[in-house]
Amino acid sequence: MIEELRQRLQAFERPPGLEDDPGMVPLGIETVDRILGGGLARGALHEIAAAGEAHVPTAAGFVAGVAALSCAARFPQAGRGNKSVVWIAEDMTVAESGALHGPGLIDIGLAPERLVMVAAGHRRDLLWALEEALRCRSVGVVIGELRGGALDTVAVRRLSLAAAESGALAVLLRAAPEGDASTAATRWIVSAAPSTPSPYGLGAPCLTAQLMRNRRGTVGTWTIEWSESDERFILAAHAQPVAQPVPHRPHRKIA
Amino acid sequence: MLSLWLNRFLTDRIARSHETSLPRVVAGKRGNADVLVAIDAAAENLGLSPGLSLAQARAMHPAIDVVPEDAEADTALLEKIADWCLRYTPLVACDGRDGLLLDIGGCAHLYGGEDALVTDLSTRLEAAGFAFSIAIAGTIGAAWAAARFGDPGRYDDGEERALLSPLPLSALRIAPATAASLARVGLKRIGDIVDLPRAPLTARFGADLMRQLDRALGHEHEPLTPRLPVAPYVAEQRFAEPIAREEDVLAVTERLAAQLKTALERHGDGARRIELTLFRTDGAVRRIAAGTSRPLRDPQEIRALFVERLAALADALDPGFGFDMARLAVLTAEQCPPEQIGIGGAEDAAEIGRMIDHLSARLGGGRVRRLVARQSHIPELAAVAAPAQTVDNDNGWAAFRRHRAEADLAPRPLRLLAQPEPIEAIAEVPDGPPLRFVWRRAHHQIVAAEGPERIEGVWWSEHGGHPSGNLARDYFRVEDKNGLRFWLFRAGLYRELMPGMPPPAWYVHGTCA
Repeated sequence: MIEELRQRLQAFERPPGLEDDPGMVPLGIETVDRILGGGLARGALHEIAAAGEAHVPTAAGFVAGVAALSCAARFPQAGRGNKSVVWIAEDMTVAESGALHGPGLIDIGLAPERLVMVAAGHRRDLLWALEEALRCRSVGVVIGELRGGALDTVAVRRLSLAAAESGALAVLLRAAPEGDASTAATRWIVSAAPSTPSPYGLGAPCLTAQLMRNRRGTVGTWTIEWSESDERFILAAHAQPVAQPVPHRPHRKIA
Repeated sequence: MLSLWLNRFLTDRIARSHETSLPRVVAGKRGNADVLVAIDAAAENLGLSPGLSLAQARAMHPAIDVVPEDAEADTALLEKIADWCLRYTPLVACDGRDGLLLDIGGCAHLYGGEDALVTDLSTRLEAAGFAFSIAIAGTIGAAWAAARFGDPGRYDDGEERALLSPLPLSALRIAPATAASLARVGLKRIGDIVDLPRAPLTARFGADLMRQLDRALGHEHEPLTPRLPVAPYVAEQRFAEPIAREEDVLAVTERLAAQLKTALERHGDGARRIELTLFRTDGAVRRIAAGTSRPLRDPQEIRALFVERLAALADALDPGFGFDMARLAVLTAEQCPPEQIGIGGAEDAAEIGRMIDHLSARLGGGRVRRLVARQSHIPELAAVAAPAQTVDNDNGWAAFRRHRAEADLAPRPLRLLAQPEPIEAIAEVPDGPPLRFVWRRAHHQIVAAEGPERIEGVWWSEHGGHPSGNLARDYFRVEDKNGLRFWLFRAGLYRELMPGMPPPAWYVHGTCA
């Protein structure tokens, strides 16, 4: 019953003129994909925030991984694979965390040939460029990287609509989580996590992804790592302390 | 060939902005003395002449208005007039500091003949407040001489000899010293030397005299060097009524682009750089250029580019009383393979190219970039971001992947800092990874490290291109206890450390996912 209502709602949400479902980008982790309804929805805006300034590289890695998954054609549902990726960043983010490095992108599985990088001097230019990129039919993923500060809700709404119209995966990468209202389909907070120790140097990069909002289901927190051999995300193998550490409360006597 | 001489250009320029009732002179330094450089008509009536020293002129006539010479402003105004003359012909050259040369061959009929063109030019120059003389002749030399020394007017081809003969020899554009020494032997007019034997004249006065004579008479071709490069494809339109609205400008652009399309198609070319020139009724000229990432012909796409360019103009398009002429020129054209146009496998590339063009037109070409792999082992040189419009399909990544698979290189960071940033690090000597470091005031304790990967400097350069100099670098990938990953290096080796040298320094060069 609820499932049926949900499907009817989804049919309403889809804008007219777009007959076929643009599909999903599965992250490759079954539990997460089930909650998301198959993966990160194309034709929708997703907001991925770093837990703090220091975690921006990790969040960027997560976004690059999602873009790589979107481009990978071997996932059957990925109908709009094999398209370009547009990464639009404000000047300050480039000064702060550096420019994207081609060989590093190859390590994540994102082909540098696909990438078009845009530097925006103002927030206004960034939003305009995002919409312009979403208007292009040959773009599969559009990423807007911005520094802190609240976003205009009208601008976010416009981006959601532009994404729905284009069928591309739109991602806002933010330097810090903000409490502002948003029409994004999903909101994530990403922070770095210690990786599995490996006898051969560094293990696979590991991160904690906290799903804060999900229009299609429940939320959750997972510690996941990027599997270079499979080129997808997997749940971190080792047991991270999932529970909070016991708080230190000297005034409370344990009976 | 049309030669335009602005007789009193220097004083006219000042008279346009400053009114005075006094006779006006322009004075400048020649050697160590202040001399008159230019004078207006009133000052000439007083008996002053250019070349007179300023002190003498002041002694003769205390009531004169003396303006210091400003060569830069003169050049700027002359260039503006030259731009404005582009409405007649694309071949306009500055001639000295108060003249212009216009090659009107093949364009005069657009104005209804040479006389009509001269009338139009004269009316506009008079309205702008310039004194001038205009001569049209078959050669540059003859037109130049007629404008300055003879009777300004229109001369047909073949009349050069009759025109030049009565004029003084300095009308040949020869050095004043040569003219003076010719005068000393009694040769004062061009007619005096035309029929003289050439060899003795050349031997005595140099080859330049005969060359200038040949050029003026049309025996030798003299090239005109236009101020602006001549576009291979040009379309223009004049309006009976000036247009001012942006939509009208764009509509005209599209119409002109449609004209260009036919010409471009005939030669199999496409436009890579397009310039729109708008001529305002008051003489101001506005040039707006737009670049493309692939050869372009479609008028609607060209119009769309200019929509972005007009929106991005820092100072809005000020039409004043309107534009009375517009010209669309293809500055750079490129062979455009026919399969790129239309529907086909290359559709995606065309779509991306269109998006890149739009973004570049609005934000600037340098802000829209693609990654290019270069053959270098220095990390910051191995992958660079180049303006997307200049990058073609082969951007080196296929070769990079092959090379990388062979050389088995270590993983690279996702982002590279613009400059390696120095850090305070505690590391094992001589070549262990750091144990902890401070970067941007944050402490990081390292729990895992991978490395070193040694990257040697280059022998052909003093500095390897970064502040640590051209030293060997040992790179480490490290992870701190929070899971953050960095790409660090130590510049320099402990074993090469000499007494008195600073110890090797540590830098952070990138961040990994």
